[in-house]
Amino acid sequence: MSGARLALLGARAGASRFWNEYTETMPREELDALHLKRLRALAEYAYELSPFYRVKFDAAGLKPRDIRTIEDFKRRVPLTDKSEFVGLQETAPPYGPTLALPPEFVVHHCETSGTTGVPLSIPYSMSDTVRYGESWVYGFWALGIRPSDSFYFAFSWGNFAGFWSAYWGARRLGCRVLSGGGLDTKGHIQAILRMRPTVLISTPTFALRMAAVAAEMGIDLSQSSIKYTYHAGEPGPTALPAMRVQLEQAWGAKAGELLGIAEVDALAPGCPEGDGVHVNEMNVFSWSMDPESGGEAADGTIGENIVTSYANTAQPLLNYRTHDLVLRRPSCPCGRTWSKLEGAVLGRTDFMLTVRGTNVYQSAVENLVAETPGVGSAYELVLTREGDNDVMTIRFEPSPEHAADPASWDGIGQQLSDRIHAALHVRLRVRPAAPNSLPRYELKTKRMIDQRPKEFRRALDR
Amino acid sequence: MERQQQIERIREARALIAAAMAECRSPQIETILRSADAELHWALWNLGEPVPLRPELEYGEAVPRGRTRVR
Repeated sequence: MSGARLALLGARAGASRFWNEYTETMPREELDALHLKRLRALAEYAYELSPFYRVKFDAAGLKPRDIRTIEDFKRRVPLTDKSEFVGLQETAPPYGPTLALPPEFVVHHCETSGTTGVPLSIPYSMSDTVRYGESWVYGFWALGIRPSDSFYFAFSWGNFAGFWSAYWGARRLGCRVLSGGGLDTKGHIQAILRMRPTVLISTPTFALRMAAVAAEMGIDLSQSSIKYTYHAGEPGPTALPAMRVQLEQAWGAKAGELLGIAEVDALAPGCPEGDGVHVNEMNVFSWSMDPESGGEAADGTIGENIVTSYANTAQPLLNYRTHDLVLRRPSCPCGRTWSKLEGAVLGRTDFMLTVRGTNVYQSAVENLVAETPGVGSAYELVLTREGDNDVMTIRFEPSPEHAADPASWDGIGQQLSDRIHAALHVRLRVRPAAPNSLPRYELKTKRMIDQRPKEFRRALDR
Repeated sequence: MERQQQIERIREARALIAAAMAECRSPQIETILRSADAELHWALWNLGEPVPLRPELEYGEAVPRGRTRVR
């Protein structure tokens, strides 16, 4: 025993460029054959066990046995939208008819941030958490992270799936986990200097915020123990090359990114080429839908990412609309055959902005503006970039009955701000504007005024 | 070890675990064995094998909601 050499991985596995070379480089024909078997099994599973999908299939006159090809699956299985789930969960919380397993199989509960209105409840079984975590590991390994590394989580643990799943991934890889918990920014910086982790997990804007605060403290984090930073939750170093430069300079580290959707999976880990993400095709089947025609968008063109998850067996998702606009490539110089989404997410079918780590949808904000008494029909949402953060300012004109009473305008603005905070959990700036001072439009009203520098906008928002 | 041989070994290991799990009287031991089987099922999945979506779907008596096997 005294001579035993302890190692987390054998020499051959430890030297691999891939987490799983066999599947990550599987030829497309073989991948598609495997997808077909799994999609048919999933359709049968969902029909048998998910009351939601039984109703949906029956309404479409579809039986699982009708799915004989991948084209059948794309074309005949009805699209699912998040709003359907949210509505059903509201009527019978927490999961309503979307749950496909007995409740005792659910070992972890997460929620979305609720920025489109009501949070979506997400149940995970034990094996779902393993699969979800595994998705992160493909990206960790591709970036160079190994079991000997140690992860610092600059995050307060709540119901947010992103960081729980990153934790499941770090455990799967066998790394040391260091939790920042509820520390403030300075506390995180001091903890990193004290514990000397090698990997930082955070939102990209918080990583930049930490570097800025450290500079004010006279600390250069590019000299810290951190060798890798890994990000999710908002557009990061893959979607925004300018942000990659900032992150890598500030931390003296390689920056990675993963595209995840809380209710689906950590579905596309970063490509080592740094210019996109690869769909984890062991966990997810995906295709692109032309937003205009509803048909399939060809590789190399922009379409909405439609995903089907094998990872979430507690709450299956088939042909799920992500509203993310992506540009899909069938091959990559890195050697992976898994679909590559160039630049990760290029834009949204329903424009979305991330403010202080919270996704804010234009439609949700506009709904609240329209509902607030005293706010007139003329308003605009102005996007700017301040320091490392996107900022949204709502400029509104008072309604006619308040137009001659300027003393009331600030109060109306405060009421609107409070409503947004209560509904979307984010504080937006609200500024009254004098009556008739905002532009009017003959055709479509331009509500969103994006004044951010181009390099901080996703490609399709530029 | 060749991939096919590895798959065979994992299938054999699952069969042994299933035998050890049969009519298990200890919740601790059954929980550990289920966990081990779930990992092996996941290994087969990631070797590209057409296993069911969940390992319990092969146990028979533990199929959720008492429905028939789903493959």
